Amino acid sequence: MDKELMQERRGFLKQFGATLGAAGLGAAGVGTAHAAAKPKGNIPNKPVKVGHITFLTGAAELLGGPGQRGHVLAMEEINAQGGLLGKRKIETIFADEAAGTDANVKELRRMKLSERIDLFTGVISSGNTPALGPVAEELRVLTLFNDGCTDFLFDKAVPNPKYAFRVTNIQSADGVTAAIGAATHWPKVRRIASLQPDYSYGRNVFEHFSLALGKLLPGIEVVSESWPKLGTTDFTSHITKILSNNPDLLITGVWGGDYVAFYKQALRYGLFDKMKVATTLAFGGYPHAIGKDHPEGVLAGVHANYHFLYPSAERWPINKGFVERYHSRWKEYPSFEADGAYVALYLYKQAVEKANQLVGGWPEDEAIIAMLEGASIDSPAGYLHIRADNHQGYKDAVTGLSKNLPGYDFPVWDPASIVSIPIRSITAPPDWPKPGKGHNESTAAADWIKKTWPAAQA
Amino acid sequence: MEIVAIQVLNSLFYAAVLFLIAAGLSLIFGVMGIVNMAHGSFYALGAYVTAWSVAAAAGVFPATALFIFLPLGAIAVAVIGLAIEPTLLRRFYRRPEEYQLLVTFGLLLVLEDSIRLVWGGTPRTASGLVDSLGLLQIGGLPYPVYNLAMIGVGMVAALALWAFVYRTKFGVLLRATAQDRRMAAALGIDVGRIYSLAFGLGCFMAGLAGAIVVPSQAAVLGMGVEVLVVSFVVVVIGGLGSLEGALVGALIVSALRTVTIQFWEEIELAALYLIAAIVLLIRPTGMFGKKS
Repeated sequence: MDKELMQERRGFLKQFGATLGAAGLGAAGVGTAHAAAKPKGNIPNKPVKVGHITFLTGAAELLGGPGQRGHVLAMEEINAQGGLLGKRKIETIFADEAAGTDANVKELRRMKLSERIDLFTGVISSGNTPALGPVAEELRVLTLFNDGCTDFLFDKAVPNPKYAFRVTNIQSADGVTAAIGAATHWPKVRRIASLQPDYSYGRNVFEHFSLALGKLLPGIEVVSESWPKLGTTDFTSHITKILSNNPDLLITGVWGGDYVAFYKQALRYGLFDKMKVATTLAFGGYPHAIGKDHPEGVLAGVHANYHFLYPSAERWPINKGFVERYHSRWKEYPSFEADGAYVALYLYKQAVEKANQLVGGWPEDEAIIAMLEGASIDSPAGYLHIRADNHQGYKDAVTGLSKNLPGYDFPVWDPASIVSIPIRSITAPPDWPKPGKGHNESTAAADWIKKTWPAAQA
Repeated sequence: MEIVAIQVLNSLFYAAVLFLIAAGLSLIFGVMGIVNMAHGSFYALGAYVTAWSVAAAAGVFPATALFIFLPLGAIAVAVIGLAIEPTLLRRFYRRPEEYQLLVTFGLLLVLEDSIRLVWGGTPRTASGLVDSLGLLQIGGLPYPVYNLAMIGVGMVAALALWAFVYRTKFGVLLRATAQDRRMAAALGIDVGRIYSLAFGLGCFMAGLAGAIVVPSQAAVLGMGVEVLVVSFVVVVIGGLGSLEGALVGALIVSALRTVTIQFWEEIELAALYLIAAIVLLIRPTGMFGKKS
């Protein structure tokens, strides 16, 4: 690496308070086994019923499967300790998100009205949370979404949430994280090509990536756009089109089985030799879904949330313990969805325990909500904070370059390449106006970036 | 220039796959009068069987010998098709069309879930086959020889199917049954057997499409439903029940897709449905469809 490049990198990272490499979390982890205070008052031993909707079939099972397994692991661990507050075991009803938005809404109603669930969790698709959020509010069912991370949910669909919360990072952070990762590792790129699935997620990634990269690097030019349908597996025409426009960098939000099909074809068409490639979800499914033939040095996104090798075992034992338990239970490594679903249940447990200490007995939903608002939890991914104003989870955003390391039969992140960005550096602050309130950007984040980020200097 | 050449090849490869699927769909409809909603899932099944058998044999056989496992997906699907027709579909021929749609749609759901049950959600690949044939250089850009070979397979399949239907005795029986099932039965043709074989042949072609796709792409959950929609566009344009229609429809759809991707990305999806709508307005039975 030449000296000039090194200096440019340091500049970027300083600007955001971001770190490169295996550093990151300052403190050593506190371990999972908090000595829980003895529950106060009379706790019934009736089970707590939880509803969980996630993708159990179809292409998105690649995301939903680990989510379900993360949820089950947390449930089993909590139940093995006697249940919530030592008394109430967790019983979960699962339903398939692939049934479609309307069916999901009906299922949530059924879960609340006929199964009498105490808590609703799960949901992967950004198309579903904006439909389910208002219903959760209407039914007054405490809800911890573990994904479906569109900014639209708390910007517009449920601008003043009471019952609905979400644990994974907000969607706009995904494109911005990829932009910072790309600018950090490849400050010389100028000509950008984009390949995005043609739905809200792909649009969001492209918009926030190009907006952020345009502020970070001078003279950015988008030379090629491709919008394949979600579920496409023949990418050859898109790849040839991208090659015909000679970009320096390709940004893609293509994910799951689509991404596997894409990289196999791109590899044989020589795409990775001709340009840098940044992704938002290459490592988003099960880790072992990607083969060893995947090229090294690709910015392999995890939805800006979590990869199981980071934070590293020495610095953050909570992650080490989680990965070990998950692996021994499921014989595979966890994904960001596994982390999200796992943490959602522990977040609930923490809030119930805190509320119990204050009010005694089994706390009312209002008391649990009060404990969730502004809550912080030591999660496998690091510190997770739930903002009180919008019920949105925030944790440091991460991405890294793919590399084949011994010990894993799939590619992982090169530890030296991991970029970790404090989430406050890339998301709009609490009082920033939402879309429609003084600006008409698609998200509060887009407006905030446009107005406050300094332009790149040539 | 090399971009144009490669885009033409990309388009032909996609057309070959679409043709195999749409021709099977058309054959089954033409002979049996059934719109097979599960056809895409047979394609997916072919892809999974091939990926699984190639992976299982990868350590034992040298890379080029793995090609003998490629048709396994097609054969397995044909066998399943031959079993399904007499046991399941035969009971519905006398009933109204919506029953046939429902039963094949049910079959689609069962097949999709069975695939997940057997092979799980992890994408399956067989890219070793692509690598074993190496790369061709077209004006400095690499192009996999495998894709070229599979375009050839598509052409051979189209010719073989044409010869089979129009130049063999079985083809005569097939066409006779398609035109008038009762008359064919009265003339002593074993209609039940013709139906089984037609369905098996249609399934074989769907399985073959899956088998040739999987080395260059991947077998993923939901791929069957995805391709079913595009195949319907192909047969709507070409005319359901017509093999020539399937060929022309596949070529039109893939060429249109490639052109819009290269020059007018925003309308990639819209263009397909737009042209299908135009064909339906001008010729409701499709370009080669028979007037009923």
